[in-house]
Amino acid sequence: MIGALARMPSTLRTYGSSQVSNVIGLLIVAGALALTLQHVLQHDASFFFQILTIGLADGSIYALIALGYTMVYGIIELINFAHGDVFTLGAFISLALFPAFGIAEGKSGFGYVLPLLAVGVITMLLCGVINVAIERVAYRPLRHAPRLAPLITAIGMSSILEGAMYLWRGPFNLHYPDLLPATRLNIGGVSIGVKDLIVMTLAIVLVVAFTFFINLSKLGKAMRATAQDRDAAQLMGIDINRTIAATFFIGAMLAAAGGITYGLYISNVAFDLGFITGLIAFTAAVFGGIGNIPGAALGGLLIGLVRAFSDSYFDSSWTEVLIFGILIATLVFRPTGLLGMRVPEK
Amino acid sequence: MVLDVSGLPTNTKGKHMVRARGLAVLIIATFVAFACGGGTSGSGSKGEIDIASDLPTSGADASSGLPTQEGANFAVTRAATVRGFTLKFVPFDDAVNGVHDPAHGVQNVQAMISNKLILGMVGPFNSNVAKAEIPVANAAPLAMMSPSNTNECLTVTYAYCQAADGFTAESLRPSTNNNYFRVAAPDTFQGPAMADFALKAAPAGLGITKIAVWDDEETFGQGVANNFAKEFAAKGGTVVDRKSYDPKAKSDFHDFLASAHDKGAQGIYVGGTSATGACKARGQMAGIFNPDIYYLGPDGIGDAQCLTDSGAMATSNMFATQGVADATQNPSAATIVAAYKVAYPGATNIGAYTFAGYDCAAILIDAIGRAIDANGGNLPSRAQVIAQMPLTKNFQGLTGVITLNAAGDQTTPTLQFQQVQNKAWVFKSQFAVGGTS
Repeated sequence: MIGALARMPSTLRTYGSSQVSNVIGLLIVAGALALTLQHVLQHDASFFFQILTIGLADGSIYALIALGYTMVYGIIELINFAHGDVFTLGAFISLALFPAFGIAEGKSGFGYVLPLLAVGVITMLLCGVINVAIERVAYRPLRHAPRLAPLITAIGMSSILEGAMYLWRGPFNLHYPDLLPATRLNIGGVSIGVKDLIVMTLAIVLVVAFTFFINLSKLGKAMRATAQDRDAAQLMGIDINRTIAATFFIGAMLAAAGGITYGLYISNVAFDLGFITGLIAFTAAVFGGIGNIPGAALGGLLIGLVRAFSDSYFDSSWTEVLIFGILIATLVFRPTGLLGMRVPEK
Repeated sequence: MVLDVSGLPTNTKGKHMVRARGLAVLIIATFVAFACGGGTSGSGSKGEIDIASDLPTSGADASSGLPTQEGANFAVTRAATVRGFTLKFVPFDDAVNGVHDPAHGVQNVQAMISNKLILGMVGPFNSNVAKAEIPVANAAPLAMMSPSNTNECLTVTYAYCQAADGFTAESLRPSTNNNYFRVAAPDTFQGPAMADFALKAAPAGLGITKIAVWDDEETFGQGVANNFAKEFAAKGGTVVDRKSYDPKAKSDFHDFLASAHDKGAQGIYVGGTSATGACKARGQMAGIFNPDIYYLGPDGIGDAQCLTDSGAMATSNMFATQGVADATQNPSAATIVAAYKVAYPGATNIGAYTFAGYDCAAILIDAIGRAIDANGGNLPSRAQVIAQMPLTKNFQGLTGVITLNAAGDQTTPTLQFQQVQNKAWVFKSQFAVGGTS
């Protein structure tokens, strides 16, 4: 037996410490779930489903932002800290476009659907163009620089975007028109808000459309190829610059859609919204597996659920601790995230 | 040290003479400049006395801080002189990124202390900034007169202060001599007054028995929410849900609203300010609560930003207390209020604490005047000005007749109730509280 114990360190090395860390991670999750269950059972089922839908709605917004983070990381291995501010910019631009399309709070009915879609499309395209410009100016020149340089540039870009929004609309909270219907559905004795369902549906539609695009279109294939091996992709005749620009464009479109959805749901935006929201979305992307697209969506939903459950059943002072604790735990115990796979070193 | 020119080459002796002469001229010129440059506005002035202010005048907090600063500025420019000394107003901004910042406030106070002309300051606006500034100003010492601080622990040491707020009135005053005064009614009155109002049967009150209470985890918000909850429960109501939120992290209040709704709350009391997002939840209520639900809060929500955040839900079921009286309800203040509106005609130039700011500056000027008299007509020291402050008796302010006590409070402060009507906070009622001596 002593011999077996003596051999254990080498056994650990053979399997990697991944097994041990997986077990520890699972134990932590099991403990957290048990604690949550205990609190959940103290309240009624209707409240539980309300919190569930609120958590999923928030999570959907985080998922839309996390997709942008994960795409950019996958393709050029850059954590684009300015991405959260592109999300805020989407909310700001749509807010500025509303008067031109006659959209204002207080009136109700389906008449808003088409103008809102129009504003949405224009905002997504504008944010896409702005993000491509940012990539061209701030990140492309540093593509072959040490990894720290574009990271710092991204932080600087984030400050520039926040400053621009501060100068544009001031530091005050801006009220985003409340356009989503306020009705509630009664499903099996549980009251669910239509608002939450709409937010989730919007996000699901966009994520599904995006997944189809990535897997079935030529540009999507080019993006996947560039993410896998940039040099080989180039040898295959893929225009790397165009592919990367397209990645930024699509990521910004999703972030802008997230911004509009956030505004419609939360009714409140400010110039510095992107900082914290971006950090949480980044945590979600890492949690799900950075570079992994379904992982980003899953991570977003889970972080949204964690936030909602923590705020409702526990003490909201601990929510941020919990979320960033998850980030640290993920990086320590399972750096590839929930759905990420170990990529062999070349 | 005597300038020894003997060892220097003789052929430069002429130049030395010129240099020495030039130096003498320069020194004499400097003395003349100092002697003449002291009095800025020319003949007859015995000197300059500055009154400073430290208020949040940029960003989200500007909607409350800037009108207050303008009120104080108006008082100083209207007085113009005191006992022959010229008055000047020196404003400071303690907002960082749009929110009042205690550390920045302390820096401002330190700048004031090093400016020898400043004999008193109006401010700060927020209780957590006062908590940081009072010890610094107390050690200097420098007189402080706040138009709007309401945290009760800033002036009186209650048994719960150390545990609840992390400080006591004593711990803020290292020199043991009080230098801090205010006109606003302490929170010991704000929270309970709203609780009594909520419990009282309609139409005098709201007639509700179940309420959800939230706070923004700040000194002011938590204090006033705790006071409200205590009084509401003590007078027979039930606090069905008690929550705190971190203003920097929380912007989605759907879960808080769902929780309050689930527990049958008939109203929500939010201990906080607009800058900490106290009214964001009101804007998210559609679909969870109907607009009839009562939304109550302290003076922190009684501003325009709250109404912006509330959007379509800014209905007449929103009530706030204000820690000072409404000067427009005071007939003897009418002339000055009208003059102010001429000088500052914009709608955003009048806030709930504009005339409290005016009164604070006016009381400081009055105390400085009495200190000059007590000092035989000469410029008083800062300590002498501070000594005059608690001797302020029956001062005819715009917000009422003001008598200050040694602890720093008004003996009979006024509490005002406001209600939202047509997307604006309007006066509903006011009454004197206290009777402390």
